[in-house]
Amino acid sequence: MNLNSRKVIDGSFTAFSGFSIAVMGIALVVLLGPIISKGIGAYIFKGTVEHREVMLDLFQRGNKKEIAREENAVQKARAPLYQAIDAFSSELEDLKKNNPAQGYALEADFAEFNKSVFKLLGPRPGQPEPQLQRDRFGQTRWDGALHVLGQAVNVESWDYSEGMGKKVFKPRAEMYKGTKLEPVFTQYLSEDYARKMLEPEWTFYYGFFTDVSYDAHFFGGLWPEVLGTLYLTFGAMLLAIPAGIIAAIYLVEYAGDTKLVAFIRSCISTLAGVPSIVFGLFGLACFIMDDSWFQISRTASVAAGSATLALLVLPTIIRASEEAIRAVPSSYKEAAMGLGATKWKTVASIILPAALPGILTGIVISMGRAAGETAPIIFTAAVTVGKPLGLDQIFSQPTPALPWNLYNLCTEHEAVDEIRHVQYGMAFTLLAIVLALNFSAICLRARIAKKLRG
Amino acid sequence: MEIEKKAPPPLLMSQREGRLVRLMGMAGEGLLFLVASLSVFAVLFIFYFIVRDALPFIKGDYIGEFFSNSKWYPTHEPPVFGALSILYGSLIVTIGSCVVAIPLGVCSAVALSDIIPFSWRQGIKPIIELLASIPSVAYGFFALVVFAPVMQSHGGTLLVVGFLIIGAPVLGIASLLVGDMLSDRFGDSNSGISWALIPGAASLAILVLVSWYLGGIQIISGTNALNVSVILGIMALPTIVSVSEDALQAVGPELRMGSYGLGATRAETLVLTVLPAASSGIMAAVILGIMRALGETMVVWMASGNAAIIPDPFYDFLSPVRTMTATIAGEMGETARGTQHYSVLFMCAFCLLIFCFICNLISEQVMKRNRMKLRGEI
Repeated sequence: MNLNSRKVIDGSFTAFSGFSIAVMGIALVVLLGPIISKGIGAYIFKGTVEHREVMLDLFQRGNKKEIAREENAVQKARAPLYQAIDAFSSELEDLKKNNPAQGYALEADFAEFNKSVFKLLGPRPGQPEPQLQRDRFGQTRWDGALHVLGQAVNVESWDYSEGMGKKVFKPRAEMYKGTKLEPVFTQYLSEDYARKMLEPEWTFYYGFFTDVSYDAHFFGGLWPEVLGTLYLTFGAMLLAIPAGIIAAIYLVEYAGDTKLVAFIRSCISTLAGVPSIVFGLFGLACFIMDDSWFQISRTASVAAGSATLALLVLPTIIRASEEAIRAVPSSYKEAAMGLGATKWKTVASIILPAALPGILTGIVISMGRAAGETAPIIFTAAVTVGKPLGLDQIFSQPTPALPWNLYNLCTEHEAVDEIRHVQYGMAFTLLAIVLALNFSAICLRARIAKKLRG
Repeated sequence: MEIEKKAPPPLLMSQREGRLVRLMGMAGEGLLFLVASLSVFAVLFIFYFIVRDALPFIKGDYIGEFFSNSKWYPTHEPPVFGALSILYGSLIVTIGSCVVAIPLGVCSAVALSDIIPFSWRQGIKPIIELLASIPSVAYGFFALVVFAPVMQSHGGTLLVVGFLIIGAPVLGIASLLVGDMLSDRFGDSNSGISWALIPGAASLAILVLVSWYLGGIQIISGTNALNVSVILGIMALPTIVSVSEDALQAVGPELRMGSYGLGATRAETLVLTVLPAASSGIMAAVILGIMRALGETMVVWMASGNAAIIPDPFYDFLSPVRTMTATIAGEMGETARGTQHYSVLFMCAFCLLIFCFICNLISEQVMKRNRMKLRGEI
């Protein structure tokens, strides 16, 4: 090979490996970008007057008088729209008699249109209160309102002429040309006028974290899920930390180089390699089924889930603690031994404190893991809808949890598209918890490294 | 104040006391051992409980069709438990994720251990750690809510970009090599770059043609094997990168120095000397990455389309598939204890468990041999 092409190959090799690192960075940004940017939208958004009403009605939060005044102003703005709709209703009756073909076609579409207006503004004043909670209020968020506004102004249909379906929007104003409804589209369903009907304002909804949810997450926040995740995480840690640290102490300080110890080690790495869904099935068969010796509860419960998660994170804690204990300089140990301390005393008063930051790092990382794992808790601890649990219920009751409910909301919820912001908010909250834990682990490690360098 | 005078403790313990201390020490060590062997019990009990509930299926009438039939109708009357399509779903998704993760992961590990300056590495490590720490359900959420719609609406563009990312550098380096060979054979020794124009043009033509073909593809459903493979590949990256970086570091400077001393460039040193020396460690990294991809539940459950079919043709990554983990997660809630359906799900779990167990053993052996080799014991 000649020198020039060797140089070029060398350069391109360097570029390629730098590029693969860049791909990882880009993947991280692409992954976190939408979740963080849209997830923050669940906390900070333009809330309409309906949002403030929800807060007042369901959570008794906000200034009653102020909201009543706003409500008045808003209803005044909505009145002409309702009048125009009523006027068209009676016109439609005539049209059905005089020109049945057009009349019946319009009647079907008019029902759709009314539905959109209902979704946008909620029930009219004077109408009976709807059964479902989600129907009692209009759009609480301005972005949602704009979306529904688009549905009211345009007819959506699918065009299959090119093979794949394509969404086509046709303005309703054309359909209703010459009727009394036509001016509605230009006058009252414009963005500017909708602002008057809904009065959007920038809102910081901290309650998204601390509120319970109503009507399958249409309103309210994530508190039951957050609380459930906290219970599961701390429960798992309560079980896994002592077991993990003690196992690490034994493996580093006491265990010899025997076959038995090698077997223990290979069991630990096997445990680390068991797929998380298998942990879930094991938890179901071991902690919940009636004929098991270890039955904790008869249904899924926080305690059963915690026990399953504890086994899942045990290898991580053991390994991290082992590494931390090994990293303690042997001069510490020798000095303690030289002063006549027993082995246990050396471990408890010299080695453990010195290894503590390293052990903590491992613990914090595995906390993040326990908080984010879904598969092990599906059958052992999770439930779709639930109230925040009290401490006395953790041995008998299942709990909602952030990861499970995130799955549930974006696949099995009846109105997946309408609660996108809740899904993003939930994903963001979960990520924020997990990343905060990991970030503190990274900082902790940086501090240890600094200390070791002196 | 009068200080109470205490007799100083005797410097030597009495025999009884000494025995007590020794006994206590032994008892304490026994206790520590017991706690340490908790992992052993955990593994044993996992095997016990999974096998116990899978046994009715293994003993039952359907075990034959489990590995031979590709029709999965567990709730039909009579039920059909052909898991072939599900096993194949797991396989295709794992292979896909390997294609994504192995080249990227090994290249990143090489970059981290040999190419990037030390001070930068401290900034890059957290990226890998963050990628590893993101919960699987968040990956699944991204795959389902962000990636799948993009794939559905801009499928062709996405395929072209993906192909160019992988294809362009590979073909570029290949055409350089071929050009060099041509110049050795036909030209004088210093015209490698100009000779590379011929294979370069050919690869450019290949790139354009394939991109043109891929750009015309429309993806019918965004939730398919490709989507899941890409996401799983990214999830497996941190494992592969960190384990193979350790393996590369363990090779030590002597081999590198030797290679540089003989006049090799950095690329030649890495490809011809360091990578072969670290091959067993990288192998272990790949196995661990495969385990991660195979055992992953949430991403495949949410974004693989969950259709228990063998894609037609069998390499069609744009078809929806279903994996073992997703089957267990999706169907466990709807079965009653004691039915064959319940047992067959434990059978799936048993297959997963056995596979991961074997993978683990292999990777452990490989790493152990590697350590011994580097210490010069073999």
